[in-house]
This record gives sequence, structure tokens and C-alpha cells, in this order.
Amino acid sequence: MSHDTHHAPVASKLDLAPERSDLGLIRPDRTTGWRDWLTTVDHKKIGVLYGAFAMMYFLIGGVEALAIRTQLIRPDNDFVTARMYNQLFTMHGTTMIFLGVMPLSAAFFNFLVPLQIGARDVAFPRLNAFSLWTFVFGAFVLNASWLFEFGHLAGWFNSFDWHKALVYTDFAPANGWFSYAPLSGTFGQADASLQAPRFTGVGTDFWIIGIQVLGIASLAASFNFICTIINMRAKGMTMMRLPVFTWMTLVTSFLIILAFPAITVALIELMFDRQFGANFFNPSAGGQPVLWQHLFWIFGHPEVYILVLPAMGIVSEILPTFSGKALFGYPIIVFSGAVIGFLGFAVWSHHMFTTGLGPVPTAAFALLTMAIAVPTGVKIFNWLGTLWGGRIRFTPPMVLALGFIWMFMCGGFSGVMHSSAPADSQQQDSYFVIAHFHYVLLGGVLLGLMAGLYFWFPKIFGRMPNATVAYLASGLVILGFNMAFGPMHYLGLAGMPRRTHTYHAGNGWESWNYVATIGAYILGAGVFLAFMNLVWTAFKGKKCASDPWGGRTMEWSLPSPVPEYNFAQSPIIAARDAYFEDKHGGRRIGFENDGGNAGVHMPSQSWMPLLAGAGFLFIGLGMPMMSMHVPHAGWLVITGLTVLFVGIWLWALEGPGGYMLKTPVAPSSSGQPAPAATTSAH
Amino acid sequence: MSQAADAHDAPTSTGIDHKKLIMWLFLASDCMFFGTLISTHLLYRKLYPTGFTDAEGHQHFIQNLFNIELTSFSTFILLMSSFLMALAVSAMHKGEIKSFRRNVLGVIFFGLIFLGCQVFEFTHFYHQGLTIQNSVLGSTFYVLTGTHGTHVAIGVLWLVLLYFYSFTGKLGGHMGALDVEVAGLYWHFVDIVWIIIFTAVYLVEYLGPSGIWGSGLPAITK
Repeated sequence: MSHDTHHAPVASKLDLAPERSDLGLIRPDRTTGWRDWLTTVDHKKIGVLYGAFAMMYFLIGGVEALAIRTQLIRPDNDFVTARMYNQLFTMHGTTMIFLGVMPLSAAFFNFLVPLQIGARDVAFPRLNAFSLWTFVFGAFVLNASWLFEFGHLAGWFNSFDWHKALVYTDFAPANGWFSYAPLSGTFGQADASLQAPRFTGVGTDFWIIGIQVLGIASLAASFNFICTIINMRAKGMTMMRLPVFTWMTLVTSFLIILAFPAITVALIELMFDRQFGANFFNPSAGGQPVLWQHLFWIFGHPEVYILVLPAMGIVSEILPTFSGKALFGYPIIVFSGAVIGFLGFAVWSHHMFTTGLGPVPTAAFALLTMAIAVPTGVKIFNWLGTLWGGRIRFTPPMVLALGFIWMFMCGGFSGVMHSSAPADSQQQDSYFVIAHFHYVLLGGVLLGLMAGLYFWFPKIFGRMPNATVAYLASGLVILGFNMAFGPMHYLGLAGMPRRTHTYHAGNGWESWNYVATIGAYILGAGVFLAFMNLVWTAFKGKKCASDPWGGRTMEWSLPSPVPEYNFAQSPIIAARDAYFEDKHGGRRIGFENDGGNAGVHMPSQSWMPLLAGAGFLFIGLGMPMMSMHVPHAGWLVITGLTVLFVGIWLWALEGPGGYMLKTPVAPSSSGQPAPAATTSAH
Repeated sequence: MSQAADAHDAPTSTGIDHKKLIMWLFLASDCMFFGTLISTHLLYRKLYPTGFTDAEGHQHFIQNLFNIELTSFSTFILLMSSFLMALAVSAMHKGEIKSFRRNVLGVIFFGLIFLGCQVFEFTHFYHQGLTIQNSVLGSTFYVLTGTHGTHVAIGVLWLVLLYFYSFTGKLGGHMGALDVEVAGLYWHFVDIVWIIIFTAVYLVEYLGPSGIWGSGLPAITK
């Protein structure tokens, strides 16, 4: 808490003397290499780690998707068993949503938000690291279920007594990504071990604890980002000067903190049903499975906007940059984003029209669902207004962003069709729904996120991705995507149900399933190529200038890669699109004069977020093993809780620490004047 | 508790400390958390207004199960702990560390009394035949009040750690007062949630002759 341990400003953290924290331990400030990455509290490095893990899980989820499509390439196929198929589609959905899209959005939040608002870091750097490691361990727990499944298939567990207690053998989650009760829950009476009979195996327990841990990671990160955006804006950065991406981060974070508690409670209730014989969703004891649907979708529908709003924010940054115009209707875009956030909480029952809610709620939710198309449409028109009359430059991010608008609109049109309850009754649980939400989440969100990756990679790594490969990959993605999911509209209306392991010949589904599978392979190749291009860029790409696109927002004013202290001196913002105005308009960026080069206050690195996060690894592996009747598995959970507590306790005791870092005074390599030299000029 | 790198170096955009703001955000989220739990309990009460059936097949009414005098007492104790917490925060702002310690010890003591009452209540109900496994009522009641009890227990643990930390001499000044104030916000919130639970779970069962849900019990038999 105190500043008396501060050193004199140093030019590099490696020059620091070993500093003991309040706890008496030496802070890992001077570490390099892998220790530096494990203990980092730098929002930029945390963002890169989020992005790396997210891209890895995108590829894993993609392999699962290709296995699904391979199974469906011809009728009566037996590429995978039905049991394996259930696990594949469940883990595909869960992986893509919670381990792919959300962390990739978090990667952008982390890297961009402090830079865009002119801040040193996020409000709570160690909490940010805790979010990252909790996500990493939660993702591992979820996927550890595959290791158990493969161990089971290989027969490793056959000699264990506890294995005989396992009636059901799906070790990876197999309920679908929304794990509807009672399939995910229990029936009948609890036995002496307090567990009631269950419909599904321990995969569901892995799913419950995995999603719970990932929820904690998302909540912690969202508290941090709201606090950062509200409280750490540079002077002059009023709310209505915030870049739209930062605005969408704020709305998304509010959605997360208000929507995730519903799934947290639902998961606790389901966990009590499965582990301790409670009756929340147990139909034989009077539990109402439809309650699970309500609780899940009160979370699940805002979750859709949690996934899509960051991509909308990214596109709102890219379109103005490559149209050479300010974003058309900035206030209305921001307002529409907030309205989408509000309405997102009022439409959950449109996922449940076929449960029989009664005419009044059905009509109300149908109307509200149609209403939410309005702010979404407003955004689309504003993006078109931004393009209109602009001097459009085609670059890989621009092509992907335009693809986003086009594909997302297709998904939006089929979405509005669902808002009509009678039509929805026909489409419920058919491939039409699959087509709809893949147009939104893949054609929309993934294209938006890929556009963001290609747009900001030069800023993150100071290297330019190969444009030819990027165009080729974008073309493959858009072509393969439409080939894969376009035909599913037809398949769904022709009666093909979703989550079907196989289908018989003669239904008229064969040819379009064949086309869809070929499309999926093309899509997979495209995404793989796009990601490999990025990985290559990070290490070997051609070095580029700090502002290769003619950027508009504050992050482009910094050198690439961004120095660890971000801004040598805190900027004073004079306009929306501050950097563009600084370059081409009259309103220059000012800098706070700190009376000489006293340095920038840097937070100390820490092992504690990693330690606390590791507690969730033990809890996450212990809970499903308790469900499997593995002897002494309860001790694993207790160990995990202890590690979590000790981690947080030591974290509190060690204090924030910190040191002063000297910043260069000479003009930076990017050719723009270094802030320190320009202080008096403005 | 957490780290605010620039909290005391630069004024924040809103003038509110990071730690205080993030606690308010957490409490907003916790509102939704308890809201979901309370909703679950209430909708099942409405659906199954009669109490529960124990292992021997005996029908129990919830008014006969509850010991409203005991719960009123523990509610009062928890409210008074909030009063002491306010005094502790005020003492810390004035830099009166001894007064802070005295008051925070009182909060801890009252919090422990509340938890003791809850343990007694759970044991009592269990012996009356209400378990998590034998009815929906048991599931919703124990999970809702147990989750609240967990919140109180975490609060007590937090205050105990703050109490001992105050002897290291590092808890002081603006940041020390802020740390205590943030713990206070959490404590007050947990108390307010209990007021809602006490009303929605306990008191409404005594509205009218047979409770708000129309449990079929002829009259309050106590």
C-alpha cells in the first residue's frame, strides 16, 4: 500500500534490485521468458495469452465440428458412434462459445481498452491475470473430460472398483450446450450416497463445474473492465468520445455481470441435484425442468449479445478507418448497442415458444424479439452510411468486416423469422435453427473477430500479415461457410432435426448434407489458413510502421509493438477519433506535464493470480471425480478450495507493489514525436 | 485486497475509488444472484403451498417447522452487526484504530451468533424431517439460506483477517479506510439480502390465517 519501497526510476525492470513484498517474498518483477508470462500483469501480454488460447480452442472446436460433418456426409454413416456424436456436438458448442469467442473477445478487451482510453493499464492488473488463469484452468477442466473419455475407451479404468458404479459412460459432456433438464439432471430418489439416478454420465458434472469456473473468470474480468472504462479515462476522454469498441466492451461487461449470476445459480442447483440429491429439476419429486430452461435462457440470451457486441464494436472501428470517414451516427450506434443490451434481457423466452408458455407471454416475447431487430437494423444502416460516399480501401480486415455485415444480416433475417411464434414452432430444433445461429455466430462474430485480428495484429506485434494469404483465407472462409450453412436452411425446413446422429436415405437430405460437409471442409481449411498466417506473422511477418492503416483511435498513436508502459505521459483527449483529429484536424492530442521524466508507475508482477486460479483446477477435477465415486476425490476439492483461499490471502498481503519506469525522451522509432518532447508544444 | 495500481497516484475519472466502484459492481451482480435463488424458492412455494412430507410419510406445515422467534432474534442480531460495522467504518475514517478494532470484533461476534442460529436452525429442521433430498422445499430452502450463510461466513472471515491485519500497522490512512469501507459495503449488502430473505421466506408464511401461499393450514398453531 505504501510507496516507501519504491526504487528510483529504472530504464528497464531488469535493473530493479530484488524487492521484497510486504509478505517478505521477492516479487517476480525481474523475470523473463516463461516466468514473465506466468506472472505478468500487463494487459497487453494477458490479451495475447487470451488470444492464443482462444485460437487453439477454435481449432479444437473446429475439429469437433468437422467430425460432426463427416458423420453426416452420407446417410446411415457410422464414422462415430451415437454416444460419441452427442459428446462431439456438445463440446463443439461449448468450446466455440465459452473457449473460443468469449476469450477472443476478452483478448481484444484486454489489449485495446486501456490503449483506447489513454490509460496505463486496467484498474486491477492482478485481478486481470486471475481472470486469465481461471479461464485457462476452467477450459482445461472442461476438456479434461475428453482425457477421461479416451481413457475409458482404451479400457484403462476397467480394473477399478469405482468404475462399476458408472452406469453411463459418456465422460465428455453430452447434453447439448444448454444442458436441458431433466436430461442433465436426476430422477427418482436419492440413495445412501445422497445421489439420485441420473440420465447422463459424469460429462455433465465436468460441464457444470467447467462452466461455473469460466463464469467466475468472465465475471472478474467484467468487473475490472467496467471499472477501467468508467474510472480510468484520460483527461478529455468523455463517454461520448470513447471509441465504439470500448463502448461495446462496456455494454458487454454489464451484460456479463448481470446475466452470469442466473447461470451460476442454475449450475449450483443442478450440481446440488446431481451431487447431493436435491430436487430442483427432479420431475419425480415435483421439480420443474422448465425452470432450468428459464434460468438458462435468462443467461443464454444476453450471452448471444455478449458474443456479438464485441464483434460489432470491432467492425465499427474498421469501417470508418477504411472508408476515410468518421463513423456515421456515432451516438445512435452507441445508443443502439445499449438498447440491444437492455432488450437482450427481455427476450429469453423466444427460445421456449414450444414449451407452452400461454398466449400472453408468447405474444409479449414475440413482440419484444421483433423490437430488438430495430436497434440491430439501425446499426447496419449506420455502417452502410459510413461506407456511403467514402473512399473505400480494400484490405484483409475491410474485406472480413464487409463479410461480417453481409453474413450477419442473413442471420438476422432468419432470426426475425424465429420471433414469429407459429413459424418458430415449425423451425424449433431443426437444422434451420443451426443455419440461423451459425450465420450470426460464425458469419457474424467469427468474421468480425478475424477482421479484428487482421486489423490489430500490426499493432500487437509490429508485423504485417501476408495480404495474399489473408485474402485467400477470407475467400475460403466466406465460400465454405455459405456452402456449409446455406443448405441447412433448406434441410431444416425439409424436416431434418438438429443433433441427429444419422439419417436414412430417401428423405431428400442426402445431396445437401453432402454439399454442407464439403463446405465445412473448405471453411475449416480457410480458418486454419487464416490462423496460421497470423501465427507466422507474430514471429516472422514483415515489420511495419506504427500506423499502417491510417488509424483513428489512440492505440495507433503508440509505437508498435506498444511499450510496456503504454503512454509515456498521459494524453489529453480533444476530440472523438482523437488520433485522426491529431493527424488531420485542428485538435491535437495534449500531454500531461509531469514536471520532468519521473517515470511511469508500473504494477509489480505476481505469482498469486496463477496460484489462486490453480485452485479451480483441483476443484474442477475433484467435483466430477466425486460424482464418479473415485475414492478420496472430496479431498481434491478441499485442496482446491484451500489453494484458492491461500492464493487470495497471499495476494492481499503482498500488496500491489510497483516501481517507476523511465520512458524514452527521444523521438520513437515510429517517426512520430515522442510525447515527452511535445509536452510544451501543445 | 486487490490492486489498484493508480488508485492513489492519479484521481479517477469519476472521483470514486476503484475498489469502491468494483465492490458496487460486484454487489449489482450479487443482486441478480440472490434474485435468482429467491425467485426459485418463491415459485416453488406458490406451486406447492403445503409443506413437505418426511420419511415416515407425515405431512408437515412450514409454519409448524419455522421458529419465527429465533429467526427474528438472529435477524435483529444481524441488523445490529450492520450498525457496528457502520461505526467501525466511521472510526477508520477518523483514524481511530482502537475503536475500529472494538467495533469490528462486535461485528464478528454478532456474525458468529447469526451463523450459530443458522446451524441450530438447520439441525432442528433436519431432525423435524426436512432434508435437501426429500422435497423441493428442502432443496430451495437449504440452498437459498445456506448460500446466504456462506456469504456471512466469508464476511466474518474477511473481517477477522482485517482485524489481525490492523495489528501489523499497515492498515491505515486513506487506503486502509477504503479497505474497511469496501468490506463494510459487502457486509451491509449481505444484511439487506437477509432482510429480503427473512420477509420473502419466513414472514410471508404468517400473512393471513394460512400464509400467503394458502398452505391449507387452518390457523397459525403457535
